[in-house]
Amino acid sequence: MTEPAPSSDITLLLQRAGFALTPVQIAEYTEAYGYITEMAARIRSPRSYMAEPAHVFSPAVAATEVTS
Amino acid sequence: MSTDLTQLSIAQAARLIAQRELSPVELTQACIARTEALDAQLNAFVTFTPELALAAARVAETEIAAGHHRGPLHGIPVGLKDIYDTAGVATTAHSRLLRQRVPTEDAFTVQQLKAAGAVITGKLGTFEFAIGGPSFDLFTPPARNPWDPARTTGGSSSGSGAAVAAGMVLGATGSDTGGSIRSPSALCGLAGIKPTYGLLSRRGILPLSQSLDHAGPMCWTVQDTALMLQAMAGHDPLDPACAAVAPVDFSARIGQSVKGKTIGVIRHFHEKDHVASPSVLAAIDQAISVYRDLGCEVREVTLPPLADFAAVGILIMLSEAFAIHEADLRATPELYGEICRDRISLGAMTTGGDYVQALRRRRELSLAVAEAMVGIDVLLTAGSPFPAQAIDNVPKWLMFQKPSVTMPFNVTGLPALSVCGGYETGTGLPVSFQLIGHAFEEATVFQLGHAYEQATAWRAVRPALATH
Repeated sequence: MTEPAPSSDITLLLQRAGFALTPVQIAEYTEAYGYITEMAARIRSPRSYMAEPAHVFSPAVAATEVTS
Repeated sequence: MSTDLTQLSIAQAARLIAQRELSPVELTQACIARTEALDAQLNAFVTFTPELALAAARVAETEIAAGHHRGPLHGIPVGLKDIYDTAGVATTAHSRLLRQRVPTEDAFTVQQLKAAGAVITGKLGTFEFAIGGPSFDLFTPPARNPWDPARTTGGSSSGSGAAVAAGMVLGATGSDTGGSIRSPSALCGLAGIKPTYGLLSRRGILPLSQSLDHAGPMCWTVQDTALMLQAMAGHDPLDPACAAVAPVDFSARIGQSVKGKTIGVIRHFHEKDHVASPSVLAAIDQAISVYRDLGCEVREVTLPPLADFAAVGILIMLSEAFAIHEADLRATPELYGEICRDRISLGAMTTGGDYVQALRRRRELSLAVAEAMVGIDVLLTAGSPFPAQAIDNVPKWLMFQKPSVTMPFNVTGLPALSVCGGYETGTGLPVSFQLIGHAFEEATVFQLGHAYEQATAWRAVRPALATH
């Protein structure tokens, strides 16, 4: 696992989300945040500008929805 | 044939009902009695509706007597995970947040099950909002494993796993965002399928992560799972992700020879990326041997690392789940159980960049799996890397500690079936493997799963607690 982030970073993120947490909760989130940053780094392999996100969009279904 | 009606498979019961040798009312009464005898110990149900079930069973009996037999689910007792909306019956996601919520409309798949004549006996426990559990701070306690009530059922379709294994119902609905059908199926000794993304409507099912959520059935046998999937399927134009595919008979290949089928074993998933327990590894080796004896060709395939699939799946799931729950988490965090609240709140710590990169990597992973499956009918790996663990010792951050063997097929959307592969020596706990097919090729997955069940004796073994 990567080095844990300073708890001030975690507090900032959680404050932005509108959460007021106890020191015990912040310590737990700090542990989990290490996993998240590790996963976020893992998926940032080089890829071209043409590498599209996976998504689902069906104009036919959308049209059915509008007209039904 | 079993004389205990609760231990009939759906296929067996359906045949007897169609021949008017079994009454749907008697079958439902037997399941109700089994539930009343065991649920205080197993906590499978959050809302038990025996009166509604008996009324539906009487209607089924009358219709069948009049010559109107709707099909294999007609008169069959089933349970619904408590995230499937039911008109007039509470649907809570097992959360205090929705404790008083009573929908006015059935989920599309519930409508389908009712149209097929299924008898719904109640709403089954779940990890809160299909992510938080097993939790002891909700309005009812977590479901326990019928093979050993000191152990977890796995999740999140926990009540569904317990209820089917214990014979309280012959089938149950589940949902699967990262393995929530396949994990409890594996740990409770069931067959459970996460079908292709888009095969089943999600409308009326409380979401966890819209782009990863799948509905599906959990039953005692593979054949039953095919029958129940058939009843749940159908195009729903009001679910934007529901695919307008031509109707398929999912049971069409059940019983056909599997000679010549090609199975790709993803050995690195369960032997290197997330090392499975010896009992699971032995079960996989035995399954490979069975398939070779049946005339299948077995090859080894290599996919991207399991940790890549897990990272993509978790980052997408946390981001989407947080978007659904952020207002309630701010306003009434005390109404969530601790595990659910803390897991979903992690979505506050992912960025827009993380989410989009995960979606881009998702496409790459899906293409890599599609390329690896050229010339292969199904992939095979572990269903759960280990048998059921102690229920009071599941870490809050378990999902991060080792990569999930089920998440890859939520990321790719491919159909994945959990098959019971026997029982661990000593503990007697079920072990399992997964079969993964091409998109919308559920019939082939069922064909191979059923062939294994027919070649082995595991389906004759039920939890001791359910046979007394």
